[in-house]
Amino acid sequence: MDAVAIINAAINGIVIGTLMALPVLAITMVFGIARFPNAAAGDYMTLGAYTAIAVQTFLSSSLVLGVLAACLVTALVSVFFYLWVFRTLESRSNISRLIASIGVAFVVRNTITFFAGQDQYNLDVPLVRAWNFDGIRILPTDLYIMAIAIGALALVFYVLHGTPLGRRMRAVADNPDLAAVSGIRSRRVMLYLWVLCGVFCGLGGVLLGIKAVVVPELGFELLMPMFAAVILGGIGNPLGAVIGTLLFSVSQEIASLYVGPAYKIVMAFLVLLLVLLFRPQGIFGRVMAAR
Amino acid sequence: MEAYIVAISIGILIYMLMALGLSLHFGFTGLVNFGHVGFFAIGSYASALLSLQGVPIVLSMLIATAITALAAYPLGIIALRLGSDYLAIVTLGFSESVRMILQKEEWLTRGMHGLPGIPRFFDGWVPSNQIDFWIMITLLIVNALMFWLILRVVRSPFGRVIEAIRDNEVAVRALGKDPAQFKTRSLMLGAALAGLAGSFQAHYLTFLSPEQFVPLITFYIWIAVFIGGVNRLSGVAVGTIILVGFLEGSRFVKDFFGGISEVQMASVRIWVIGMALILIVLYRPQGIFGSKTAKRGV
Repeated sequence: MDAVAIINAAINGIVIGTLMALPVLAITMVFGIARFPNAAAGDYMTLGAYTAIAVQTFLSSSLVLGVLAACLVTALVSVFFYLWVFRTLESRSNISRLIASIGVAFVVRNTITFFAGQDQYNLDVPLVRAWNFDGIRILPTDLYIMAIAIGALALVFYVLHGTPLGRRMRAVADNPDLAAVSGIRSRRVMLYLWVLCGVFCGLGGVLLGIKAVVVPELGFELLMPMFAAVILGGIGNPLGAVIGTLLFSVSQEIASLYVGPAYKIVMAFLVLLLVLLFRPQGIFGRVMAAR
Repeated sequence: MEAYIVAISIGILIYMLMALGLSLHFGFTGLVNFGHVGFFAIGSYASALLSLQGVPIVLSMLIATAITALAAYPLGIIALRLGSDYLAIVTLGFSESVRMILQKEEWLTRGMHGLPGIPRFFDGWVPSNQIDFWIMITLLIVNALMFWLILRVVRSPFGRVIEAIRDNEVAVRALGKDPAQFKTRSLMLGAALAGLAGSFQAHYLTFLSPEQFVPLITFYIWIAVFIGGVNRLSGVAVGTIILVGFLEGSRFVKDFFGGISEVQMASVRIWVIGMALILIVLYRPQGIFGSKTAKRGV
């Protein structure tokens, strides 16, 4: 394998990793604060991508409008399922929420396929020529995708570390009981958490839809790699999630050159096993008791 | 009509074997297995490939069942030290990995083309129009045997320990029992049942392809176990019959509503399954026919 191919794969990995960091961040925060692996996150991404396609088909060809609509719709759906399902299950075991989130995933995906069928769709994006540096190719579209994703990530890190809301979120994640006695209303925090989960999954879905064909399994197929990245970065650790996703994505793209792209899920599974066996707290995580 | 009833009964009985295994995992041991279909897949492909090499069908089914149990062993070693939500992720990843390997290793499984011409059960022993009937009878006997076996298992000292693990693992450890060992055995036994079910599937359908083993099947079985009540063996039978009744019945519902395509009907069917998962967890965590006073649920 020559160096150019590897560098191109690495660049592609960085782009995909940056945009995938959005849903992975959403999953890790839900895991850290609401305390369950949200299996519906993948299908929230699918919903985002399909919303953008619906906007382009029926309203206007503007991609910006599509992105905004996608964020809005997935945020509403995410809050709806929080209010109806996950809030009710807060006092129950994390397994009950996990099983319910599988149900949510099926409901969301099949609502989409009921209207859109099993066909493939493509988001309309202006075609641009890639910049070519001696075979190393950089797509301007990829730079836009990265700019949007990095902007969204920066915003969240600002909110988490620079605002009272973020402090409350981190407090609830750290110790819900202590947060409650300190007068933090966890319901409010949860509501923001699910808005963030919806927006980030929706945005991640659209950005991925720009790079790939949109199919009903778009998000669900990514669930395993995303869980692997979450655990790699340490559960509930936002920075770990971003770095974990990047590491994971770059190594996956490069490894795909050798074993073929179909083995992404298998590789994700192996990474997951290795991390769980040798470093269950993740590469940056703190030790979580009783795991 | 008769042929249809026989076909549905075979479907129910194959799912019932799987549901029995999942009931042992989740209902009795508290293991959250989201990858049951992976064991089903290993059982079917192992039995199919062995019999295609000329191994007698019954023998290849037995070997396939044993292979499935062995495949569950490393998973048990790795995963059973982890919390239950991790086990769910690991098992889901396991079943998806199995499906991807079946899809890609074409030298072994012919990948997406599928594996045709698997020797049929009873081929040449009984007239070909009676084969399905005899497969159904065999499945009935096997199911009865397995229910009896699992009933014996859960009423044995082993059964009391796994139920104790489900209810309070720390207490079990305090009594000097090693939960990991019991969980691994439970995982292997339940996986073997799914593998056995898979081997029946292989020699009944005579054609296998990776799409038959999507995660959806795992959650069909979860619904069956939930409907019947999570730790009632009789519930497993009832739950599976209701599940397959719904899946089959929804085919006829389509005839009453005009203008719904086959694809849309499939979406509706899976939508209902998802909704059922949500509603059961929210309102009947002990299962629809589970006893109301049962402490156990999710």
